[in-house]
Amino acid sequence: MEDNVSTALGLSIDDALPLSLSAHGSPPILHLYTFRPSAIVGKYQDIEAALRLDRCRDRGIEFNRRSTGGGTVIMGPKVVALGLGIDIDQPGLRGGIGGIFETLSTVLIRALEELGIKAGFMPKNDLEVGGKKIAGLSAALETEKAILFHASLLLDFDIPLMLDIMNQPPLKMSDKGYNCFSQRMTTIKEQLGHDIAMETVCGAIEVSFRDTFGVSLERDDPDTWENQRIQNLVAKRYTNPEWIFSHKHPRSHMGTGELKTPGGLLEIYLSLAGNTIEHVIITGDFFSTTRDINLLESSLKWTSSKRQKIEEHLSEVWRDDMIYGLDVATLTEAILKAKENTLNPLQKDV
Amino acid sequence: MAIIKGYDMPDELYYHEEHSWARVEDNRVTVGMDDIFQKEAGDIVFVDLPDEEDEVEQGEVCGKIQSRKWIGKLCAPVSGEIIEINEELEDDTSLINQDPYGKGWILVIEPSGLEDELGNLMHGQDALTPFVEQEIKRTEEERAKA
Repeated sequence: MEDNVSTALGLSIDDALPLSLSAHGSPPILHLYTFRPSAIVGKYQDIEAALRLDRCRDRGIEFNRRSTGGGTVIMGPKVVALGLGIDIDQPGLRGGIGGIFETLSTVLIRALEELGIKAGFMPKNDLEVGGKKIAGLSAALETEKAILFHASLLLDFDIPLMLDIMNQPPLKMSDKGYNCFSQRMTTIKEQLGHDIAMETVCGAIEVSFRDTFGVSLERDDPDTWENQRIQNLVAKRYTNPEWIFSHKHPRSHMGTGELKTPGGLLEIYLSLAGNTIEHVIITGDFFSTTRDINLLESSLKWTSSKRQKIEEHLSEVWRDDMIYGLDVATLTEAILKAKENTLNPLQKDV
Repeated sequence: MAIIKGYDMPDELYYHEEHSWARVEDNRVTVGMDDIFQKEAGDIVFVDLPDEEDEVEQGEVCGKIQSRKWIGKLCAPVSGEIIEINEELEDDTSLINQDPYGKGWILVIEPSGLEDELGNLMHGQDALTPFVEQEIKRTEEERAKA
């Protein structure tokens, strides 16, 4: 297993995986490694809106853009970086976008189970333990039949670093940032109560991959053809400012909104990518559970910010008294208020 | 309109197996993504499109479409030159979900080999029904195995 890999090299190797499948008809290729401390945005994210690049440079944190979807990930020596090239018709891989994510999340769920952690799939793209996110997944169909799948799995995580280098919707209290994210994320170390070696975790993932797909794994290095592709990707893409600072992305907006409700004060922190909710933080003075709030927030990630769609997605997960004294319509109203303020920052509510 | 197994697949259109559709009108071919795609993908986040005046070949990946954390592809159903892009999608990608065959159109191609190439596309219920059934079966079979 490689560690401390540069973003340019790690991402280039990952991009070469589906190319190799297509060109050589090779079996799936699993790439497990760790990055140098770095921040990697999704393919269609605004990197200058997502990251405080000045702080990244000051702290020696690399930054780059990957070729799969989704949002920003903070990588480093305590985060498993997983790249997988796999054919869309691979036996054992369920059909459809949802099926692909479910199958590949099963690999990680089984690996975590082997380590003594009970994880679940948090629809539609993450893994959770006790309602808190422990891994993120993203994917792209890169060639006619070959998928590139990315996952990041947290052994440990530096929340203060994340708060320093990522742009966030303005959070009112300086300590709310830490508490806010510590309630929404967890790590293998937190779940086990002790450190664990990266090699142990990666070993569990390899075994799980083998068992899930009924295949044997063989260690190998890139061949000549693959190395040429990798070097080409390093040069033309992952060290190229045109790629890293690409303007092909929806406009980013961040903002907040408040709504006084019968159930208490709702404070919504919203990040929009165009008309899509990139993520939403629901906080305030009300009665609910961390698990339920995380479920509601997760249901809205990367979905349309139109009223009908917000109501639809919330209703898919809603139960009575999920937030005591509130209903879907009221929560939707609060989110739309934040949206209005996000898009029209000069018209903030008093 | 033709509803096949719950999916809207208009009769007058031609369909590529990678879920792009083509509406042929004189020497213009309007292109979009079909109902199977938009239902499977969910809310569309971003559409990465080619530029006007780009040349494309039938079956070539000419764009990318993101939904949640998945990036799928837009395959050109016919060869030709891109002559128009739907700029409304820049502000509202949900048009592809809400109205995939109307306001959710994606681009227009001036075709270069239409007569030969239409034969490579699916057209009409007789061709589309097995295609839709196959797509449904593919997803259901894998779910059953799981």
